[in-house]
Amino acid sequence: MANIDAKKTSVKRKHSEKEDAAPVALELSGLEMLTDEEDEDYNDSDDGEVDEFPEIDPSSDSEGDGLSEEEDGEEDDEEESDEEGYSSAESEINKRYVYFMSVFGIALRWPAKATNRVGDIPMHWYDDMPHIGYDINGKRVLRPATGDELDKFLATVDDPDSWTTAFDKTSQQDKNLTAEELDIIQRLHAGENPDANYDPYEPMVEWFTGKGKEEIMPLSAAPEPKRRWVRSKWEKQKIMKIVRAIRQGRIVPSKPKTTSKFEFYSIWSSEPSSSAPPSLPAPKPPLPNNAESYNPPEEYLLTEEEKKEWEEKDPEDRERDFMPQKYSSLRLVPAYDQFIKQRFNRQLDLYLAPRIQRKKLNMDPNSLIPKLPSPNSLKPFPYYKSLRVQHPKGRARCVSISPDGAWAASGDEEGVVSLWEVNVGCEVKRWKFDGKIGSVEWCPRQDVSYLAVGLEETIHFLIPPNVDNTVFAQTQSLLAPATLPAAGPTPSQVKWTSTSASSWPNDNPILSLGLPPSSGTPTQLQWHRKGDYVASVSTGGAQNGVWIHQVSKRHSQAPFKKIKGAVQLVLFHPTQPHFFVATQQYVRLYNLAEQKLIKTLMPGIRWISSMDVHPSGDHLIVGGYDRKLCWFDLELSEKPYKVLKYGILFSV
Amino acid sequence: MIPTTWRRYHLSQLVNKALGLEKAIPFDFLVRGEILRTTLAEWCAERGVGEEETLEIEYIESVLPPQKISEFPHESWVSSVSCKLSSHFLTAAYDGHFRAFDLSRNTVLDAPLHNAPITSFTLLPSSSPSTDDTYTVLTASQDLTAQISQITLPGINNTPSSSKALATLHLHTSPVSSIAADSKGKQVLTSSWDGLIGLWDTSIPASDEVPEPEATSTSTDRKKRRKIQKDELETKPKRKAPLNVLKSHVGRVSKVVWTSDQAALSCGFDSTVRTWDVENGVCTQTITASEKPFLDITPTSNGQSALAVSTDRTMTMYDLRIQNLSAATASFLHPATPSCVAVHSSTSASTSASPSPTSANQVVTGAYDGVVRVWDVRSTKEAVALFKAFNNNDASGNAGVKKILSVDWYRDVVLVGGEGGLDVWKVQGGGDSASGQEQQVKRSS
Repeated sequence: MANIDAKKTSVKRKHSEKEDAAPVALELSGLEMLTDEEDEDYNDSDDGEVDEFPEIDPSSDSEGDGLSEEEDGEEDDEEESDEEGYSSAESEINKRYVYFMSVFGIALRWPAKATNRVGDIPMHWYDDMPHIGYDINGKRVLRPATGDELDKFLATVDDPDSWTTAFDKTSQQDKNLTAEELDIIQRLHAGENPDANYDPYEPMVEWFTGKGKEEIMPLSAAPEPKRRWVRSKWEKQKIMKIVRAIRQGRIVPSKPKTTSKFEFYSIWSSEPSSSAPPSLPAPKPPLPNNAESYNPPEEYLLTEEEKKEWEEKDPEDRERDFMPQKYSSLRLVPAYDQFIKQRFNRQLDLYLAPRIQRKKLNMDPNSLIPKLPSPNSLKPFPYYKSLRVQHPKGRARCVSISPDGAWAASGDEEGVVSLWEVNVGCEVKRWKFDGKIGSVEWCPRQDVSYLAVGLEETIHFLIPPNVDNTVFAQTQSLLAPATLPAAGPTPSQVKWTSTSASSWPNDNPILSLGLPPSSGTPTQLQWHRKGDYVASVSTGGAQNGVWIHQVSKRHSQAPFKKIKGAVQLVLFHPTQPHFFVATQQYVRLYNLAEQKLIKTLMPGIRWISSMDVHPSGDHLIVGGYDRKLCWFDLELSEKPYKVLKYGILFSV
Repeated sequence: MIPTTWRRYHLSQLVNKALGLEKAIPFDFLVRGEILRTTLAEWCAERGVGEEETLEIEYIESVLPPQKISEFPHESWVSSVSCKLSSHFLTAAYDGHFRAFDLSRNTVLDAPLHNAPITSFTLLPSSSPSTDDTYTVLTASQDLTAQISQITLPGINNTPSSSKALATLHLHTSPVSSIAADSKGKQVLTSSWDGLIGLWDTSIPASDEVPEPEATSTSTDRKKRRKIQKDELETKPKRKAPLNVLKSHVGRVSKVVWTSDQAALSCGFDSTVRTWDVENGVCTQTITASEKPFLDITPTSNGQSALAVSTDRTMTMYDLRIQNLSAATASFLHPATPSCVAVHSSTSASTSASPSPTSANQVVTGAYDGVVRVWDVRSTKEAVALFKAFNNNDASGNAGVKKILSVDWYRDVVLVGGEGGLDVWKVQGGGDSASGQEQQVKRSS
C-alpha cells in the first residue's frame, strides 16, 4: 500500500514534470481503483495483482514519453495544465477501454504520451497530414516518426520484446503489450476465463442447511385442507365413467397385451399397395419356332422363288423378318448381324408400345344372357312364310280373313279389292272401285257372308262368290230387304242405298253407305261381335268421323259430337255395350248405352297404332309406333299393367 | 368284301356284272334307309359305323335325271291333272274350264264346265270297255257342286270333241275339295270344306232330285222363265242328291280317295286321316296327328299305308293298320309346303286296283316352291330326284316361284299342274324289277 501511495505521489510529480506522461500514469494507476482512494483497502485486501500495474506503467509511460518528446515538445506544454484537471474517473474508463481493446487484438488507440482524440475514424484521412489527430485540448498530435523496413527489422532483432508488440492505429506506432495483456491472451488461447481473478472452485456458502440451521417449525400454520381426507367429487365422477365403460364393455380391463413387445413387419412379403396401378407386364416375345432353328427341317427352307419374293418385299411386308438358313452344325453359324437391331426393336416394343391393363372379368358370360323361354312354350307363332300373293299394282292397305278362315280379302290403294283363297293363294274374285281402299272387314256372322269395304266417303258391302244358297239368301235379305225398315226419327246424314235383288249377282256392291261429304276415308271398320253393328273411323277429313252403323235397321249414328284429338282406332267391348276409342295418346272407354265416359287409359305411348281387347273383355293391349306394347287390366288401373318394349308394332 | 373307297358307280358296275345284264342299268344304293351319295368310307365316318362291320346295301334302279317333254301354258292355274288316258292329257283349271290335250300338244277340248274354279276331277272308269272316245268326267268345283259330264274326245273315229253336263251333285255348302270314283265306276265320293263327304252313284236321274233354290224374283218372271226353259230342260243337268253322307271330320276335308271298292280314305284340316266303310257309312279308323293340316293323301300301292302331305312341310307315311300316333312310320321333310302327292302307277287307271308291286316305292310330290320331288319311301332323308317345273322367266313380273297344285305319274310320264299351266316330264327308271333285292356286303378297307 505504501508502495502505491509512494508511486502515486511520484507519478504526480512526474506529471508535473513531464506533461504527457502524467495522465497516462494516472489512468493506469486508477485502473483497479474503482472508486478513488476510498476502496484502497479493499483492493489491497483482495490480492496483490494490482501491484504489477504500477510497474508496467512507468515503462509504457516512458516509451510514450520518449516518442512524443521527440516530435512535439512544444505543444505538450499546453496540454499539461489541462491534463491536471482530468478526472480520475474518466481516465479510469479510458484505461479499461484500452485494455479491452488490446485484449481483443485491436490496436490500442490510446497513446501513452499524447492521447489522440480523433475517435474511430479511418486513419488514412490523416495520411497526408503531418499530424494524426488532436488531443483533448485541440492540439495537434503529431505523427510519430516511423522507420523504414530495415529499421523495423533491426528493431525486431535488437529488441527482445519486439514480438510482444502490437501496432496502435491511433498513435500510429507499435506498442509493447503488458504482461497483463499477454496473460489475457494466453488464457483466451487456452480457452479459460480471461479474468485472472475468477475462481471457479469457490467454497459453497451454506445458508439453510448444515448444523444448527435446520427448520423445526412448518413454513405454514394453515389447518389441513378437507381435500386431503375427502375424496374428490370430480375424481369420483371420472372413475365412475371408467367403471361404466368397463361394465358396458367399452373398456376391457384385463385385455391381453400383445404377446410380442414389438410388431415386426415383413415389408417385402406382401404385394405392393393397390393404390398405385400395378405395372403392366411386358408383352412376351414369341417363342422361336422350327424355322428359326440353325438347322431347320427342309420344308422350312425357302425355295428360290420364295427367296426372291422375300428379298423383293419391303421389310415391313415380309412375313418373317429373317430367312431360314441351314447349317450342319452350330459351330458354323455366323454371328447374327441383325442382333443389335432386333434387341433395339424389342426395347422399343417394351417402352414405346402403349399398353393397357385389361381387367379380366371373372364372370360366366352365359349368366349375362337373359333367360329366354323355350320356343315351344310360345307356340303357336308364325315361323314360315307359306304363301305370298301380290297385288299387281298399288300397295295393299288392308286385309281381312273370313270367319271360316277359307278366304282373305285385301284392298289396295288402286281401288282393287281381291278375294283370295287362303290355302292356295289363288285370286278368286276381284272388285274394282274408284279411289283408295281404306279398310276391308268381313262380317263376323256365320249365317251370312259378306264383307264391308271402306272407300272414300263410302262403305260398300260385298257378297263373295260361291256361297251356299241359304246363306246367300239370308245375306241378300239382310242387306237388300224387300221392305225397307222404317226410317229413324231423325234423318241421318248417312245414305243407305242398295241395289235391287233382281239385278244381282253382279260385281256391284249390294249395299252402299254414303258418309257425309268431306269426312275422309274410313280407315277402320270394326264389327261388333254379333255382326249387326259396324263402327267406322274416317280420317283425313274435315272432322273426325266415328260412325256406328246398324245393318239390320239401316241406321247410322255418330256417337260423339266432338272428340278431343284425332281418333286412331275404335273397338267394341266383346261382352258389354262399351266402346273403346283410341286417340293419339289416350284410350277412352265409353258406355254406349248410358252415353258417358267410363275411364281414360293412359298408355304413355306417343302414337297409338293398334289396339285389341281380350275376348273376356278385361284385358286390353295397345301398341304404338314407338315400339311399345301396353297391357291394361281394365279392372285394375288406368295405367298399364305391363309395358313391353322394343318391338315394331303395326297391328295387334 | 368291298373296298371302302367305292362309290355308287363302282357298286353299280358290280351289280351289273353280277346280274350279267346285257345292257348296263345304273343303280342307286340304299344303306340303312339312305341313298349312298359318297364313298362308303365317308358314309361310315359320318354315321360312326365301323369299317369292319357287315352292311346291308340294297340296290335300286336309279332314277335318271328327269327330262322335260313339253309344256302346256294355261291362262289360269291348273288345279288337277290326269294322265290316265294314254292318248290325252286332261287338266282342270281355276277358270272353271276342263281341257284335254293330245300328244301333239293340240288343245282338243276346252269345256267351260263350271263358273267357279274346278278343284278336282276324276275320270269315271267305265265298266265296259268303251268303244268310242267318250268318257265320263266328274268334276268338283268351288261353286259348291260336283258335276258329272260326258266328254267326247277326237279319237280314231275323228269325232268332233264335245262336252255335256249330265248331272250336278248337290250336297255341300262349301267348296268341294275333291272327288273320287271307285274302280268299277259305280260310286263316287266327294269331300268338301264343310267337313262332309258325300257318297253318290253315277246314274243320271230322270228328274231333279234336289229342288232348285227359290228364285227371289217374282212369279211372273218364273212363269216366263219356265216357258223359255222348257226346251232347255232336256239339256239342263239334273240335280242329284247323295246316297249317303259320311260325317266325322270336324274341319275341312281336303281329299278323299278310294282304297278298295268298299273302303275309302280321307284327310282333312283337322289333322286326321280317316278310313271309311263306305257301304255302312261309318268311320272305321281315325289317325290323329298333331298340327298337321293335311292337303293331300294317296294310298300306297299295297293299300296298307298312306302318304299324306301337310302344311307343316312334311309328307308322312301312315300305316293304316295302326290306329294311334305311331302309325306315322316315316316322315319326308320338304323345304316348302307340299301340295300334292302321287304314287307311281305303271298300270292304267282302269286296272289300278292292283298295281304291280314293283313300283310301290316311288312317290312324287309337288310343292309351293315349284319343285317336284321324286321320293323313294325307303329313303326318308332326301329325294332321289327333283326338278323345277315351269319356266320362271315369265314376263308376269311376279318374280316369285310358281306353285305346283297337282301331280300325276303314270309310267314314265309325270304331269305337273299348277300356277304355270301344265308341264310334262319324263322320269325314267327307279323302283322297278331290280329293286327290293338285297345284297349283303362285307367290306374291307
